[in-house]
This record gives sequence, C-alpha cells and structure tokens, in this order.
Amino acid sequence: MEHADWGTIYPYLVWTLVAIIGLGIALASAGKRLHIRRLPAIDAIEEAVGRATEMGRPMMFVPGLAGVDVPTFQAIAIAGHVARLAARYRSRIIMPVTDTVILTMAEQVLREAYAEGGAPDAFNPEDIRFLSGDQFAFASGVVGLMNRERVAANFFFGSFAAESLILAETGQALGAIQIAGTPSTLQIPFFIAACDFTVIGEEYYAVTAYLTREPILLGSVWGQDVCRILLASLIFATTVAQKFLPPFVLKFLGL
Amino acid sequence: MFEPLQNSTLNYILVVGALIVSVVVLIALHSSPPYVRRWVIAGVTFLVGLYVPLEFYIPRHNFLTVWRDPLSDLVRVLAGFTIGLGIVNLVIVHGRHILQRTANFPFSLAFFVGFISMAFVGFLHHYKPDLWAQKPGEGELAFWSAAYKVFFEGLLLPLTSTVFSLLAFFIVSAAYRAFRIRTLEAGLLMAAAIIVMLANVPVGTWLTSWLPQDSWLKWFRLENAALWLTTQINAPAMRGILFGAAVGGLGAALRILLSLERSFSFGGQ
Repeated sequence: MEHADWGTIYPYLVWTLVAIIGLGIALASAGKRLHIRRLPAIDAIEEAVGRATEMGRPMMFVPGLAGVDVPTFQAIAIAGHVARLAARYRSRIIMPVTDTVILTMAEQVLREAYAEGGAPDAFNPEDIRFLSGDQFAFASGVVGLMNRERVAANFFFGSFAAESLILAETGQALGAIQIAGTPSTLQIPFFIAACDFTVIGEEYYAVTAYLTREPILLGSVWGQDVCRILLASLIFATTVAQKFLPPFVLKFLGL
Repeated sequence: MFEPLQNSTLNYILVVGALIVSVVVLIALHSSPPYVRRWVIAGVTFLVGLYVPLEFYIPRHNFLTVWRDPLSDLVRVLAGFTIGLGIVNLVIVHGRHILQRTANFPFSLAFFVGFISMAFVGFLHHYKPDLWAQKPGEGELAFWSAAYKVFFEGLLLPLTSTVFSLLAFFIVSAAYRAFRIRTLEAGLLMAAAIIVMLANVPVGTWLTSWLPQDSWLKWFRLENAALWLTTQINAPAMRGILFGAAVGGLGAALRILLSLERSFSFGGQ
C-alpha cells in the first residue's frame, strides 16, 4: 500500500493515538503529577553497574541487530543512561554494534554521557566496536569479546533475532549479571530463561522515562497506557457488537 | 524527480560541488556553539520525521511523494559514508592489538588476514576474474571467481552455520533452567512444554490416539491440547505483548521526533 486508506478506521486510529500521547506530554508539561509502576529490571541496572565496578571488570551493552529504527534508538538512549551511571564509578562499557550508522550514534551518545557523568577521560572510543554486519559473525564476535574481557554485567536492549540466546547463555556461563529488554516477541522467552531481569513489550519503551523521571517522558508513557486501554476496549466492543453492526461499519473497521 | 545528467563534465562539477558543500556544512556544525548544533539537529530530525507520516497519510500521489526517492537515496548515501567509519574502527582496534602485542593479538592478526584476503579476492572476482590466470574454459569458473566461491561458500557460510548450530545446545541449557519446577509458573510452563513437545512427535500423538475424536474426550488428545495451547493461550499473549510494544513504539517515535529523549539531544558537549 503506497498511501493510507482513509476509507478504513486505521489512519484515524493512529492519529487519535498520537493525539492522546501528545495530550499526555502536554499534561505532564503543565505540571500534572503522574505515577509509573515499579520496574525491577530497571532498578537492577544500578546494581549491575555497581557489581561490575566492585569486581573491576567491564560491562557490555549490546544494542541489538537492527539498523536505524525506533527500538535501536531506544536502546541507544538506555545505553546513555547506563553510561552516565558507569561514569559515576569510572567503569568501562564495551558496546559492540552491527551497523555503522549506529556506531557513530553510539559513540556520540556515550561520549556525552561520560562527560555528563563527570568522567570524560574514562570514555574510550575503542570500546564502541563495529564487529560485523552479518548476524552470526556479530554473535561470535560478541561471544569472543565477552570471554576475553570477562564482562561482569551484560545489557541486551534492542531488536534481536536467533543470536539472542547465544549471547545470553554465554553471559550466563560467565556468571555475569544480565538485564535484557526487547520488543522482539519471539526472543522474549529466551531472554527470560537466560537473563536475571527482562523487560518485555511496552515496558521496553518506558525505560528512559522510568530512569530519568522527566515529567515529559512520564507524560508520554501515561498517554501510551491510555491508548492501550482504548485499543483493548475497542477490540472488546467490536468483538461483542460484531453481529449487530451494519456492513458499512464493519467495512470501516476492517472486519 | 531527478533525471541522471547526460553531460559528464557537469556531473563531475555537481559531485565536487556537493562534496564541498558537505564539508562546509560539517565545519560550520563543528565550529558552532552547542546550543546551535542542538537546534539544527532537532530541526532536521523534526522535519525529516514529519515528512514520512505526512507523505503516507496525505491521500494518493501528493506534492511530497516526488521527494520520496531522493530522500531514500540520501539516507543510503549517508549510510555509505559510515561504512568507511566502521572499517576505520576495526583497523584501529585490531591494529593497536598487533602493534602493542597484547594477549589477544593473534585474533587481530586473523582479522587482518581475513579482511585483506576477502577484499582482495572479492575485488578481483568482480572486476578482473581471470587476472594472472588462464582464461576459463566453457562452463568453468574464472580463477578469482572460483577463489571467491571457496572463500564465501567454503569458509564464511560454514563458519556462520556453525555459530547458528550452537543455538541447539544453548536451547537445551536454557530450557533446563527454565523448566526447573520451583514455582507454580515454572510448573505450568513445564506442563505446557511437555504437551506441545509430545504433540509434535509421532509417539506423542500415538499415546492418546485411543481417545475418541467425536466426544468431549477429544480435548485430552495431545495434538488437540497442544493446538489449543498454542492458538488460544500462546498466540493471544504474544499479540497482547505486540500490541503494547507497538503503542510504545509509537510513543517512542513521537519522543524522538520532538527531540524529547535527552540522549539524542546531541551537541551538549
């Protein structure tokens, strides 16, 4: 499909959701206090950084396999927060990447995070490494790095495919504390089985809001939750009312 | 929108002009104060980010559609520039290991041998497949094409397949940990896994094949129970997670578009 079909509900739905998220951001900017529930996996990030510091060993942050897309952008944002914590303890983060565009982005974000954390000299640009654009060459490169550097903590955030379990099991065998988060539904069970903490689904996109507690980010998370309630209600209502709705409404709903 | 130029001189002048403009823009960005850089990056992100949904949601072929191909070409060109940075990164990291004779320098040596030989054979395979070799006979591969085939199909593909096959062993070790029955959830997981696994092997379906298909007892046949578990329990749960993630992705995209994520406000330092 080249362009949106305005004869169906979908374009209206998307813009309604965007408007609701925008409303959340506006309310938060206006000073509305918003609550976000506890995410134990994200609370564990500081513990993981602290543990790696105590052991005097580096951490590894893998931002997934994808190129420039929303989950990877989110992963780089999370990496920035982890780097700020690491800078506080002057700890080292190794970040292998599979895409050269992400390499430049990651280098810039981590450089600024270390500077903001008060330890610009603790940042080593060589710790941001481009390994390979090939899935399994990348996986073997990451596994090799983990073993050679004896990492104490692993963070897997981003879009992953079959290599997820190879990475997580290697970290598990090394005894590293592991925190993962992915919107890739097929990889979630692997991470749950092999990692200490896992954030799943929508939690993945709430991590930066949770970490920074910035009102504007919390507002967008609140907006997303309202959208989910709206979508679930719409699905339930249309399922129940399907038999009674006239054909043109069913066509509009795509049923 | 843009037609290729027939005049090669003009073409070269435009390419050189584009390079000069790019260098000037980069120098201007680097020498500008951080707040200016931040505003420029936020502005470009917003405009480009707004272009894609607007082009899609304005019905049919619209005034924005003509810019679609040039913009995707621009993205490809920008990505092409960064490939060089990737190679530079690899060469710096591994070159330092070799020069300083660190404990891991054999791995770096392996990288350089692999990288140089693959690039060399790849270039010759593409441009001069019979350089320094006899002309290939009918139905035969040229020397460098055959060498490329050996490097690619005989070396690289088996190596990647080997890494992939490790997954089988890792699945077993992960499953062992996941299936240890210590909680109610782990017990349910174990029970569901046994039913689904047994239903997918002939002996499993044979075990309950004596149950009649035309009574309520059919739900206890392993293949039916497994189908119910995967379609009525697993699929809705997965879709629910996907729904949540999709809405989350929309919110994250909006935050990036509006430069609300602090980590993307480049130019602070």
